[in-house]
Amino acid sequence: MSAPRPWNLIAELTYRCPLRCPYCSNPTDLAAHRDALDADAWGRAFEEARALGVVHVGLTGGEPSARRDLEAIVRAAARADLHVHLVTAGTPLDGERLAALARAGLGSVQLSIQDADPEASDRIAGTEAFARKLELARSARELGLPLTLNVVLHRHNVGNVSALVALARRLGARRLELANAQYHGFALRNRAALLPTAAQVRAAAHAAEAARAEAPALEILFVLPDYFAGRPKPCMGGWAKSALVVAPDGRVLPCHGAAALPLEFWSFPARALRACWEDAPGMNAYRGESWMRAPCRTCPERALDFGGCRCQAFALTGDAAAADPACALSPHHARIAEARARDAAEAGDGPGLAFRTWDEDAAR
Amino acid sequence: MTPEAFEAALRGVLAERYHDRHPFNVRMHEGVLAPEEIRSWVRNRYYYQTRIPIKDGIILAKSEDPGFRRRWIRRIHDHDGDDAREGGLELWLRLADAVGLERAEVASLRNVLPGVRRACDAYVEFVSGHDLLESVASSLTELAAGGLMARRIACFERHYPWVKTDGLRYFESRTEQAPRDAAEGLRFVLERATREEDQARCVRALERKCEILWALLDGVEWGGRRLVLARGVKLHDEAEGPVAVLAERAVRIHGAGREILALCDGARTAGAVAAAMRARHEAPPDVERETYAFLEDMERLGVLEGTP
Repeated sequence: MSAPRPWNLIAELTYRCPLRCPYCSNPTDLAAHRDALDADAWGRAFEEARALGVVHVGLTGGEPSARRDLEAIVRAAARADLHVHLVTAGTPLDGERLAALARAGLGSVQLSIQDADPEASDRIAGTEAFARKLELARSARELGLPLTLNVVLHRHNVGNVSALVALARRLGARRLELANAQYHGFALRNRAALLPTAAQVRAAAHAAEAARAEAPALEILFVLPDYFAGRPKPCMGGWAKSALVVAPDGRVLPCHGAAALPLEFWSFPARALRACWEDAPGMNAYRGESWMRAPCRTCPERALDFGGCRCQAFALTGDAAAADPACALSPHHARIAEARARDAAEAGDGPGLAFRTWDEDAAR
Repeated sequence: MTPEAFEAALRGVLAERYHDRHPFNVRMHEGVLAPEEIRSWVRNRYYYQTRIPIKDGIILAKSEDPGFRRRWIRRIHDHDGDDAREGGLELWLRLADAVGLERAEVASLRNVLPGVRRACDAYVEFVSGHDLLESVASSLTELAAGGLMARRIACFERHYPWVKTDGLRYFESRTEQAPRDAAEGLRFVLERATREEDQARCVRALERKCEILWALLDGVEWGGRRLVLARGVKLHDEAEGPVAVLAERAVRIHGAGREILALCDGARTAGAVAAAMRARHEAPPDVERETYAFLEDMERLGVLEGTP
């Protein structure tokens, strides 16, 4: 399998973050991963990525602004002729620093919020952050930076789509991403406290549809969560197909979650980025279609969903090459159906949330 | 509702939503539009004029009453003309001459802006898809048109003296026709809509028509916006062709798109970009339409934005 051209680099600058969201997509042993790349090393990664064909970099984490050298990293990405997109929780970043990042070449901002009102948002974030987030959204608009608002949906906020749309319009966002929680890592641990009911999800989808008709200037992304769709999501647009992730420790991965799989990935800068992308055994493990088994191998939808999510297959079946259990055609689909029957509930029901922690033991 | 309350409700819709309150019309009547803006309005509004007789033909076909049809067909003659006189379409083309446009270019409709086209087509679609009562109710914007025409003549004479007075004959003709047509339409609606639900349908139809006229002027304003590559967008000229890269997507630019983007320098309006494309190319018939469609797509995707 020859490697395709990657378009997008997801640069996880650090796993440090002042927020403690119980569905965080970082690895659950996040403290074991130190920040191994300095701004110069990131700069070299950006140059090598551009040479591979990458045109866009998302600076993410953790919280990128937890790094003191973020300005230098942004400058290096802009110098490599990439569109520089910052994914932030809005803290500790402030307007003054955002202006400095804009001067360094930042192109756009994605800001996470946890809910439409301060109390609920701060409760999920596990810290007081809502007011700072709104302040940062205002700064982004004043600086003329295109703003995307991202909200992870779960049973506690899935009923608030209309309020979230109103907030996005008030803040002058260009795009609103209503991203249903994906139940990996921390979110899988909290599934019984987060998974909404099918009725809640349907109502949210209708609310998003109505808002689209009402406010065409705001782009609204709402994807039916795979637990309820009966079909898997086209995860990352295909395994190691169009995007690559560089983790804080330099590991080059096909997605945020792949580090949890028993595969060999290579690290930058120990090896050239091109080698990490094209030749690492883990990258080639699920490229293309030759790894697929029944029912994916002959499924007419394999070109649409690329077989779904390998991390989900591994987390729920112990076998990363199995069909994604989210698919109704998977022999393991009962696991999703059982989880839905057991865990799905409305807000107020279910166990308490277990927040993301920086487990120092794991660092040893 | 009593007939009086129903009429008041209809007039209330116009007081609140008629397009005389649209920013473009407000600026026109303040006398601050540039000649190019006046020309764009005349060119685009002509498409609306061409839709009126078609819309009235559809309304005619909805009626079983010879008396109604005899009265209503006069509206088609008013616009298309007859053996004895010139119609509104011809008078509008005189206005086009008077503001310095090429009559043939206006009549070809090739340069109609996309939002204007959608708004005018929406009016014909509305009349096609609704019954006679709602169709007539949607024409009641004429209740406000007579007054607007009188104001417009005064405003052109005062603020836009460069427009030859011969061009204003359309407005003069409408100061008489619109009140007559409006009175006829209003009588029909007041007589027919006596049940609450029919009255509500008429109010909604008039609201919809106000939205359409408003959208038409939004469409004219869009053509006057100065477009430029949006902030943070990078244009890469790749071996496979140009790609625009922005916040959450990369957009492949096909065909003449690269050339159009290069014309979006923040100084040219959308209309000027289309004109430049026509001047540069050996006039394929749809060059303006395709240019506008591309500009709209690029704006929707966030590749282009209007300068403040």
